[in-house]
Amino acid sequence: MSFIQLAFYFFAAVTVFAAAMVITIRNPVKAALFLVLAFVSAACVWLTLEAEFLAIVLVLVYVGAVMVLFLFVVMMLDINLSRLREGFGEYLPIGGLVAVLMVLEMAIVLSTDDFSEQRLPRPEAHTEGYSNTKELGRLLYTFYVYPFEIAALILLVAIIAAIALTLRKRPETKYQNPAKQVSVRRDDRVRLVKMGAERKRDES
Amino acid sequence: MFENMKLVYMAIPLSCLVASVVAGIFGRKIGRAGAHTITILAVAIAFALSLVVYVDVLEGNKFNGSVYTWMVSGGVPFEIGFLIDELSATMMAVVSFVSLMVHVYTIGYMHDDPGYQRFFSYISLFTFSMLMLVMSNNFLQLFFGWEAVGLMSYLLIGFWFDRESAIAASLKAFLVNRVGDLGFLLGIAAVVALFGSLDYSVVFAGAPGAASKSFSFLGGEMTWITAICLLLFIGAMGKSAQVPLHVWLPDSMEGPTPISALIHAATMVTAGIFMVARMSPLYELSETALSVVMVIGAITAFFMALIGLVQHDIKRVVAYSTLSQLGYMMVALGASAYAAGIFHLVTHAFFKALLFLAAGSVIIALHHQQDMRAMGGLRKPMPITYLTAVIGTLALVGFPGFAGFFSKDAIIEAVHLSELPGSGFAFIAVTAGVFVTAFYSFRLLFLTFHGRPRMDQETRRHVKESPWVVWVPLVLLAIPSILAGAWYFEPMLFGNFFGESLKVLPEHDTLAKLAAKHPEATGVALLWDVIVHGFVSPPTWLFLAGSVLAWVFYIEKPELPEKIVKRFGVIHGVLMNKYGFDEAYNVVFARGTREVGGALWKFGDATLIDGWLVNGTARIVGWVSSAVRHIQTGYVYHYAFAMIIGLFLLLTLFLKP
Amino acid sequence: MNTAINVTPAIPEIVVFVMACVILVVDLYAAKEHRVISYALTLTTLGVAMLISLYSFSADPVYTFNNMFIDDALSDVIKIAVCGITFLVLIYAREYIELRGLYQGEYFVLVLFAVVGMMVMASANHFLVLYLGLELLSLCLYSLVAFQRDSALATEAAMKYFVLGALGSGMMLYGMSILYGLTGTLDITEVRQAVGAMPLDNVALIFGLVFVLVSLAFKLGAVPFHMWVPDVYHGASTSSTVFIGTAPKIAGFAIVIRLLIGGLEDLHGAWRDMVIILSLLSIAIGNLIAIAQSNLKRMLAYSAISHMGFMLLGVLAGTPNGYSAALFYILAYALMSLGGFGMIIVLSRAGFEADELADLKGLNQRNPWYALLMMLLMVSMAGIPPTIGFFAKLSVIQAIIEVNLVWLAVVAVLFAVVGAYYYLRVIKLMYFDPPDEGVASIEAAPDLRVVMGLNAWAMVLLLPWIGPIQRVCLTAVASVMNGFAS
Repeated sequence: MSFIQLAFYFFAAVTVFAAAMVITIRNPVKAALFLVLAFVSAACVWLTLEAEFLAIVLVLVYVGAVMVLFLFVVMMLDINLSRLREGFGEYLPIGGLVAVLMVLEMAIVLSTDDFSEQRLPRPEAHTEGYSNTKELGRLLYTFYVYPFEIAALILLVAIIAAIALTLRKRPETKYQNPAKQVSVRRDDRVRLVKMGAERKRDES
Repeated sequence: MFENMKLVYMAIPLSCLVASVVAGIFGRKIGRAGAHTITILAVAIAFALSLVVYVDVLEGNKFNGSVYTWMVSGGVPFEIGFLIDELSATMMAVVSFVSLMVHVYTIGYMHDDPGYQRFFSYISLFTFSMLMLVMSNNFLQLFFGWEAVGLMSYLLIGFWFDRESAIAASLKAFLVNRVGDLGFLLGIAAVVALFGSLDYSVVFAGAPGAASKSFSFLGGEMTWITAICLLLFIGAMGKSAQVPLHVWLPDSMEGPTPISALIHAATMVTAGIFMVARMSPLYELSETALSVVMVIGAITAFFMALIGLVQHDIKRVVAYSTLSQLGYMMVALGASAYAAGIFHLVTHAFFKALLFLAAGSVIIALHHQQDMRAMGGLRKPMPITYLTAVIGTLALVGFPGFAGFFSKDAIIEAVHLSELPGSGFAFIAVTAGVFVTAFYSFRLLFLTFHGRPRMDQETRRHVKESPWVVWVPLVLLAIPSILAGAWYFEPMLFGNFFGESLKVLPEHDTLAKLAAKHPEATGVALLWDVIVHGFVSPPTWLFLAGSVLAWVFYIEKPELPEKIVKRFGVIHGVLMNKYGFDEAYNVVFARGTREVGGALWKFGDATLIDGWLVNGTARIVGWVSSAVRHIQTGYVYHYAFAMIIGLFLLLTLFLKP
Repeated sequence: MNTAINVTPAIPEIVVFVMACVILVVDLYAAKEHRVISYALTLTTLGVAMLISLYSFSADPVYTFNNMFIDDALSDVIKIAVCGITFLVLIYAREYIELRGLYQGEYFVLVLFAVVGMMVMASANHFLVLYLGLELLSLCLYSLVAFQRDSALATEAAMKYFVLGALGSGMMLYGMSILYGLTGTLDITEVRQAVGAMPLDNVALIFGLVFVLVSLAFKLGAVPFHMWVPDVYHGASTSSTVFIGTAPKIAGFAIVIRLLIGGLEDLHGAWRDMVIILSLLSIAIGNLIAIAQSNLKRMLAYSAISHMGFMLLGVLAGTPNGYSAALFYILAYALMSLGGFGMIIVLSRAGFEADELADLKGLNQRNPWYALLMMLLMVSMAGIPPTIGFFAKLSVIQAIIEVNLVWLAVVAVLFAVVGAYYYLRVIKLMYFDPPDEGVASIEAAPDLRVVMGLNAWAMVLLLPWIGPIQRVCLTAVASVMNGFAS
């Protein structure tokens, strides 16, 4: 067994284990951390496939952004653990059955001719100096420029939607508006009033 | 004669139609006088023009063509057209003449009636329908006229619609006619199927060629022509009141007497006779049909006459007499003596109408009293009525020299000479019928006009002759009742009067055989020959016997009838019940249909269709809906689960490794 | 790798995208009273995009962006339809959102981006582009559903839509990746050629096909992937519902055409039976459950499910007539749905949502004109002649009879009869029931009233143009089935 194969089996096992832990463990924070582990192991599997860009991106985006967000939310919300645990046992038999059958079906599909060695020969390893990132970049900005732009649009939409849905100006909060502060003029703040001089009441 | 005879042909029925519409819609505006004036004017025009046409036809100008094409469907043209030949010209003249007489008569008869204008409108409309029927050159128009006269008969029988018996009678007439019309329509359909056209000329031309086409029926073979003739004859049975579809005619006496004269003596009931004669090219090709016609006619002729013996209502007697005489006409047609049948139709129209109108005259003189047991001794107060009634009776019984003699005699002789199966029975029936006819006719005369007056004092004092509008038609009808027979005997029977309009095959030609018996004589000599021959023939003896017997029963020994009734109670009962036809039809058809209808309504419609199918499906759908909607639980994980299950099912169903 | 890319065919998309960004910025500086500027700009944009698409309408397809973008008759038809429907949607929605404090520039921006997504989907000739367009559209729709952020109902609806939508998109991606694995390409044209060379009972092919089909069914709202439809239609504010119930359905048809027919047509024998199941279940369950509804929006949601089932009948026929009938059905349905939800908007006021069936009671006595309009719409949805709804159903049923699926036609028609019940119930409520006590009168902005009237009357007045419209649909479909010369 070569090193690559050993690495693959190890990381695959860790991924499956971590995934199982995510859905069974009680503590939500621990579950989130196990999900991080699953992602990292998956990234390692991809590294064995020479897809280093994807592996790094997986760690950066999923672990760095998504899971951090998850953990923020989990820690900020007051989650009632026992309520969440309810009903788990109800669905286990059916869900488990469905899951097992799906795995079987996928195995049947994947064991067909189309996925065999002849049709899909193992790709050769690239020479040193091959940069997966560079190749991806080259394709992305020329051949795939159209989907790339659309993907950018989707990100834009995400920002706009998030702001439109959540940005609130509370009427009670007091905040400063520097633009208004700077554009104030003397006449808005000061008003000269002519008043007669006042006499003192007693003459001493 | 005129430049454009087509216009004349169209004017004849149309004038009656226009008059009818005017009298019907504007009756109130133009008043009674207006209504009867316009309709009588119209019918008079129709009569005058019919005479013109008659003369024209005698000169040899015949016409067969369409005046208007309604539509063409499936290759079959539906048209309005006229076939003017000897047969239709004769019928037109008779129909318009009798109609004119009845129109005039009605002025007097319906004098006090509130529906005066309506009546005139109806009878002109009827005249229009009958004219369209006889002038038709295709089956569609024939059927139109057929149905139209049936409708008018319904309207006129039930003219006094507040009388329940009248309503019942009109419905009965219409429904029984409907049964006949069903057969008629099937016959027409078979004609279209066989010949592909509704036009007489096409059908008649193609008939000999199609004579051999047959189909299997109840284990045997029946030719199409036979089937057509029989089906058409069913229609004739209904319209001309042959047994077993005769039950409506006696009840039709519920209508006013003028229409009994017009419709149920002279014209409508003769439509069936006319139709069979017109279809002679077809009937000649089917001996089975001819036999059936003859036998049915014979049964009607004899058995209906028997019922006439025991009737007390004066109109009923005449009605059963009409039935019997219609039977005679049918027998003639069955014996292929078409000319004789038509001849009898013409003569019968005159004297039967006369008899009905005379009866009507008596009725109004006695203030609408119809029971003969309350009449008697009317010959002195009503001489004209009496005299014309005698003339009519003599014509009816076949007194040699009068109209009925020539026609009836010809029929009996022709039947005697016929060789078709059933002709023997028919001969016996029509001969015996002469006796019965004489008996009931003279019975009527004696009971009504002779003997002691049996009506109450009040009426007896007021009884007098009817107004001139009533007795002038009587006189006018009496004239042809005497003369028509002699006038037309030779041309109709032995000459070629009807020419091409009646077709007879040589092997059936009984009239030719009859003519062979008087080989040399022509003209007056022929007539004299026949009259003399008549005096020594069985029918004459029978009629004499009948009249003498009637005289005995009703003048000499008036107590005899009662004794006979007691002795022969059973037979009398059967005759009084009209052989039970009415009861049978009532139980089997009328009540049976109502029961079936009721059952179908209660179970079939209400329970099955409304309850189970309509409401049931609605309930099931609603129930299913309220059950299924619970799938939508509102929980996202249920939704996701459903999606996974759906995906999984699709995979399992369609993945076949 | 091409160096020069022909951008001309993509001008409509570019115009809309650029204007969306412009409006975003303009809205930032415009005061609240001048919000109508954003509204006007959006309408203008949509109009311009429609005109450009119309101008460039031709039967010959044009490929660009390395074969990822196709501009053929179908894409033009879809783009014109989408822009046109969205135009009307905005007219309906404006007063509604103004009364409820939702009148913000972001609304228009999101709608415009959704339109871009739909146009991208219509012109997609590449799996990736198709998927991205779908995601762009879906993201905008999720936000639009949740736009009424103070309503718990809306938020819940948005959550459900989002979660289930993510599931659906994931399935599509998985199916696409399997197909990629088998054919070695993501280009739809090349996929078609590769699939054509493979045997039909290839297990992996069916596997991938099922996943793709499932996600398409989700997007359209076909049973058993329909669960989101009632909750989302009901929960979202009506201004959003009127959008998601109309234009995205047209876009959904676009992806069905591009994927199932443009790419996987040769697998027709395989996916036909699957689509039969989907469409039968949709027609049956959609109609059955709609009967039990008392909320008008939910009822219209279930009716949407059943209409999608009918549309799928045309798709499964597998003939050009069938596909064109399905396209015609979708266009007709979009119009009907627009009117149906538009009616709810017309009847609503600030603080009152006229989405219960009971709110329609006695409408004829309160305002006979609106009752008449609603009746026209209901009659058209039920498929009663001479409305376009009838002709849509007729053409679809004709298509499946042509391929000898008479039993299917019979079942479909039977359920259509069942379905007629709830449409007629609406008419009954309007015309035969007395109005509730103390119900206020109906006020609506003038432009809303005019458009509503036109929309409803279009159900019958479009009668003379049904022939030409169907011919256009046939052209559009034919270009997908035949035009692979690039």
